[in-house]
Amino acid sequence: MTATLLRLAFSGIRSRLLSSSLTILLAGAAAATLVLALQVGDTSRDPWQRTFDAANGAHVLALMPTEDQARRLGRLAGVVDAAEPTPMAVKGVRLATGSGSLPLWLAGASEAPTVNAPVGITGTTAPGGGIVLERSLATALRAEVGTRLRLVGPLGRPVSLPVAGTAVVPSQGRYPRVNPGVAWVSPSTLQLLQPDRRDWRWVAGLRLADPDSAGAVAASIVAGAPPGTVIATTWQDQRADVLKDAEPFQLLLTMYAVILLAVGFAVVTILVGARALQQRREIGLLRAVGLTPRQVSGVFVTESAVLGLAGSVVGFGVGTLLAPVLSRATTQSLLGSPTVAADPSDLLVATIPVVLVLVVSSWLSTRRRTRYPVLQAIDAGHPAPPSGAARLLSLVSRSVVLSVGSRTLLAGRARVALLTAAISLTGATFVFALSMQEALAHRPSGAPSDVPTDLPAMVYALDAVLLVVAASALLAVALLAIRERLRDFAVLKTVGFTPRQVAATLVSPFAGLALVAGVVSVPLGLALYVGAYRLAGGDGAVTVASWPALALVPVVTVLVVLVSTVVPARVATRTPAASALRAE
Amino acid sequence: MSVLLDARHVVKRYDGGDPSTPALAGVDVRLDRGEFVAVMGPSGCGKSTMLTILAGLDRPTDGEVWFDGRRIDRLGETELAKLRRRRIGFVFQSFNLLPTLSVAENVELPLLLVGQRRGTARRTAAALLEDLGVAERRRAAPGRLSGGQQQRVALARALANDPDLVLADEPTGNLDSRSTRDVLGLLRAAHRRGRTLLVATHDARVAAAADRILRMSDGRIVEGRVLGDARPVRLPFDPDPLP
Repeated sequence: MTATLLRLAFSGIRSRLLSSSLTILLAGAAAATLVLALQVGDTSRDPWQRTFDAANGAHVLALMPTEDQARRLGRLAGVVDAAEPTPMAVKGVRLATGSGSLPLWLAGASEAPTVNAPVGITGTTAPGGGIVLERSLATALRAEVGTRLRLVGPLGRPVSLPVAGTAVVPSQGRYPRVNPGVAWVSPSTLQLLQPDRRDWRWVAGLRLADPDSAGAVAASIVAGAPPGTVIATTWQDQRADVLKDAEPFQLLLTMYAVILLAVGFAVVTILVGARALQQRREIGLLRAVGLTPRQVSGVFVTESAVLGLAGSVVGFGVGTLLAPVLSRATTQSLLGSPTVAADPSDLLVATIPVVLVLVVSSWLSTRRRTRYPVLQAIDAGHPAPPSGAARLLSLVSRSVVLSVGSRTLLAGRARVALLTAAISLTGATFVFALSMQEALAHRPSGAPSDVPTDLPAMVYALDAVLLVVAASALLAVALLAIRERLRDFAVLKTVGFTPRQVAATLVSPFAGLALVAGVVSVPLGLALYVGAYRLAGGDGAVTVASWPALALVPVVTVLVVLVSTVVPARVATRTPAASALRAE
Repeated sequence: MSVLLDARHVVKRYDGGDPSTPALAGVDVRLDRGEFVAVMGPSGCGKSTMLTILAGLDRPTDGEVWFDGRRIDRLGETELAKLRRRRIGFVFQSFNLLPTLSVAENVELPLLLVGQRRGTARRTAAALLEDLGVAERRRAAPGRLSGGQQQRVALARALANDPDLVLADEPTGNLDSRSTRDVLGLLRAAHRRGRTLLVATHDARVAAAADRILRMSDGRIVEGRVLGDARPVRLPFDPDPLP
């Protein structure tokens, strides 16, 4: 019996290529987004490790109030190597920019320390009479070797320094997320800019015999000093801090994955439900030959599960390959490019929710339709009777075309609700993207953005995926509506509807539905944006998209729906009435 | 009497069909205004194809169709739709009422299409349904009506704009004998009001009500017979003879 059910499921997949492809696209997009969310952070592990190895990274990095305290750390048990303590001014030094100034942590060393040494990227790591900038800081300042920078100390006397080089260290995350940025100058320049040693800290990089004991060593350093005077970070903390750069990606990707799953649920429920309705006769025949309602539902559920599985595998591949591309911004403060971080367990984690959503949606949409009495199912053919809402609409509407169209569309109330939800969610993601763009555009002039460069591009790419999914779903639903209503269209022609009027009965209710969905999508998108902003730790006033831009969303939604439905509508009008009726 | 419909050597071949056996192999039909003509013949002989072509629902492969002195087989779809909504009513064997509209709304539809106000259309439809004996079901969904009631509603829809020509394809094919008698009575009433009727049927009682019977076979009209004054015809196999 299982073989028979599988055969029926596979033949269903083959016979409906459009809806099968759409389901795979949906499942693949959702799975890829989930895989991206899971892997985007991990792809930076290799570059961080490379940087840590090249810098002879510190298993414990401590910022001590005095040189003597820093030097004593080298004698702690388990320490196998300790760098000469480096002074660092953590207060009072600012870097002048065109429109203001930025705080800076300035390290003073004539030569690179033996532990946690800056790894040179361009120029030199020995500052001499200039300044070496951490690379992401240099990128934000658009500074290159030779560029002159003005630094101001607490005494207010500006010092102009040429950029001698750029470097990275494994303990420093990407600027400006990690702010202030770090730069290296000679000890004499440090003394010149910040003569008050109370605002210095002494950096001690320690290498341990057992790196796993870093937590205990760091804890003992903090415990041995007066509270709040010492900072000690382990190599694990440093890595986690650097990898935190992927958090905005992960948050957005998770949000989009949830939206894609919700849209997928709506679309698959519509497609499978419509198919079950269309195949009521076949369902009746299957039951007549002995299949139970559960087994018939099982055919549809198996179909969705197989498509979901296929989509998840494709999505896993796409997500795994795209994750390093998204992490490029993260590695501004590291050596080398992000690498593929394929983890087979991610396939499982992505597949479970995707397949579950598809299976539940197809089961929900078919369970009632497989329980009709057999004879009733075989004799099927009567769609839903007129609905109350549709009656009300036709009373209000003065156009016979709009009235007939809306009655036809509203006959499938559940489908309309699901389609509206899918379009609203897609529109909401555009409101989200517009608001994000507006917030980025309104940041203070000259202040670098702490949003990774690739983030807006990723949001627009995900919006494009959702748009393709929503437009394909609309096209599929419009085609389904035509297939279901082909006889009705022929009847409309028979009573005197012109081809244009017949097309309008299909397009106009979809456009009306899109307008409603587009309007709903505005508050929904704003709520989504504000929610994500707060979740990401944002506070204060939220900048959202301008009202003219928001007003465009319903208009564009209607246009997209019109474009998606106009071709099927033309197909509907071109089918000769006699052919449609003969087919019935 | 003037000619209302004139079909000349109409041929219809379907794509993928056997070219040697067209659905219509050169049909000539002429209907005078006010005439009631029945078309009889076995299933598949081309009756339905001929009716759909005469109604402008399909196009002939060859030949000409003239309606009230105007050639219609070359008209565009929009022109044909406008012609049908005012001047041609069509009744299907399987009723083909729109399931998402109520009974009354199905009848109002052609009235609204020709520009009647909603209130006027509602009153006209109500009167028609009253005449046809289904007024009490006007708010029901078509699917909830019996076959006979659905066919009366379909007839009401076809007659709503008082068309010159009513084409009916097996209008009693799905009905029991009582409903057949009712529908036939309605067709006769329309005929009495001067409508021109062309009815494809297998039912000898329906054919007996016509002025003229055309017999079709293999896509051709093989016999045309004008009925005498001896109507209604009592046939030996008729289980429920007409009154």
